[in-house]
Amino acid sequence: MRLVWKLLRRHISLPQLAGFFFANLLGMLIVLLSLQFYQDIKQVFLAEDGFIRPDYLILNKRVTALSSIGLASDGTFSQKEIDELSSQPFAKRVGAFTASQYKVSCSMGIGGVAQFGTEMFFESVPDAFVDVDLGKWHFSEGDEAVPIILPKTYLAIYNFGFAKSQNLPKISEGIAQMMELTITMRGNGRSEYIKGRVTGFSSRLNTILVPESFIRWSNARYAPDAVTAPNRIILEVSNPADDAILDYINRHGYEQEEDKLDAGRMTFFLRITAGIVMAVGLLISLLSFYILMLSIYLLVEKNTEKMRTLLLIGYSPKRVALPYQLLTIGMNAAVLVLAVGALLACRSLYMRQLWTVFPKMDGGSILPALLLGLALFVAVSLANAVVIRGRINKIWNNKN
Amino acid sequence: MNSITLDNTLPNVFLRHTDIHSDIWLRQVTFEKGKTYLVEASSGTGKSSLCSFIIGYRKDYDGDIIFDGRNSRELDVNDWTALRQSHISMLFQELRLFPELTAMENVEIKNSLTHFKQPAEVKQWFEALGIADKMQSPVRQMSFGQQQRVAMIRALVQPFDFLLADEPVSHLDDENSAAMADIMMTEARRQGAGIVVTSIGKHMHVPYDKTLHL
Repeated sequence: MRLVWKLLRRHISLPQLAGFFFANLLGMLIVLLSLQFYQDIKQVFLAEDGFIRPDYLILNKRVTALSSIGLASDGTFSQKEIDELSSQPFAKRVGAFTASQYKVSCSMGIGGVAQFGTEMFFESVPDAFVDVDLGKWHFSEGDEAVPIILPKTYLAIYNFGFAKSQNLPKISEGIAQMMELTITMRGNGRSEYIKGRVTGFSSRLNTILVPESFIRWSNARYAPDAVTAPNRIILEVSNPADDAILDYINRHGYEQEEDKLDAGRMTFFLRITAGIVMAVGLLISLLSFYILMLSIYLLVEKNTEKMRTLLLIGYSPKRVALPYQLLTIGMNAAVLVLAVGALLACRSLYMRQLWTVFPKMDGGSILPALLLGLALFVAVSLANAVVIRGRINKIWNNKN
Repeated sequence: MNSITLDNTLPNVFLRHTDIHSDIWLRQVTFEKGKTYLVEASSGTGKSSLCSFIIGYRKDYDGDIIFDGRNSRELDVNDWTALRQSHISMLFQELRLFPELTAMENVEIKNSLTHFKQPAEVKQWFEALGIADKMQSPVRQMSFGQQQRVAMIRALVQPFDFLLADEPVSHLDDENSAAMADIMMTEARRQGAGIVVTSIGKHMHVPYDKTLHL
């Protein structure tokens, strides 16, 4: 092997290999950096709410003065309207909000001491729209407690309005999830209690959300005769930035909260931008691969006779190809290691900047970028190895 | 491998020739293991082509070349590699040494593949052929006659059933020619191998079992 390498390293062009090395390093770094930056920054938009994804929109009908005094439609969605919405090209899935049709009141406290009580209501959306482990988001008759997702604003109203004026302690999300909620349901001649367990707080949902199975069960038990149409709709779209959505919403007099669309739009544009940058990185990688292949072709060309002699004295094509294959794999591995190192350095730089803007941000996982880097390394090395072996086979077959 | 048979073989370039008078082309000839053959030829009669066909370097011929009943056209890459490593050794007319390596390295590059000979044995051959002082010299600085001797040593550091020597002594004086013939015959007998020597005039003085005119 030592002697074969001594023979075949002749005519290796260092400038060409250096050109490949740095171009590949740059390409790889851009690819990895774009993915890592996307992973990190998307947390800013997504981590805020783990329950409802940003490509879900919540629609309701505009409340006007006429509808308030009962002169216009009651603001509910008819089946026909839901069907029409589902048939739109931008709609992936449509689900209706179902509201409780009976009286609900709730008191909460710690250690059995009730601190806070209120009249309230429940709503549900189809379970598929709720981004919670379905093992936790479930209710069946006979269960002691029902899982609940509360709007984040409730906590803010309590902490910054109520608690402050009443000299009560502030409650964090963690403590709120440990609190006992006692729910009283009245209707159909019954008045019963059930415990509530706060599963989390959502900033995207302005409602008190319970599992669909609970609403179905409780409506049948406490308000068996009530039939109502939904007045809110949850909609999954493929592209939140699609103008057709806004157009459709306006045409039909629906409403959706702008900021919710914005988060979706931001992530969408972020994804597009990251995609473009990644494509540029891949293009650079591809060009660097081309440089390397040209360099290897020239090298093989110049060393053809030596390789032919090695084959004629009993070396297998596999062994003759090995030195160049190891050379390229070694370079690719060095590129991978350096690119990951540079990625980590760049990441610590921009994360420091981001932390000043979003102090709570914890960043995304580095694993996807590492896996992508590894996949690129394997793909490029494999392609190199195959091409080199192909050239040697040509020499074997006397076509060179 | 016990035999190499050429069955009606003819280089493609001779296909239009009608006046082929040869002991090998268009005939059935078998080289047997353990025997020594001299193939005498004039220039341009396809002597090097014959060697290239047998070693599998070229396939531009008509007819068949058969190794122990197996048609050489059926061999795949692995078969040919195994054949060149341990069944047929070849001393090329153009030597095919690596000029940038030393004489010893040229032998080592083959021996490291076959692990067939000890360095001491190789050294003895260098001494017997009178080029011991050139062992560490780059081959490009050696005369063609000296290079021929290095090429012979390289051809011997592998197991073989047949040794093809294409004009092995064209640039050697009688004394060196005899020394080369001696180590070649000794090694071939030790291995029980067959030898095919080609020549266009000057040839090794060894007891040939058969002389063929190409």
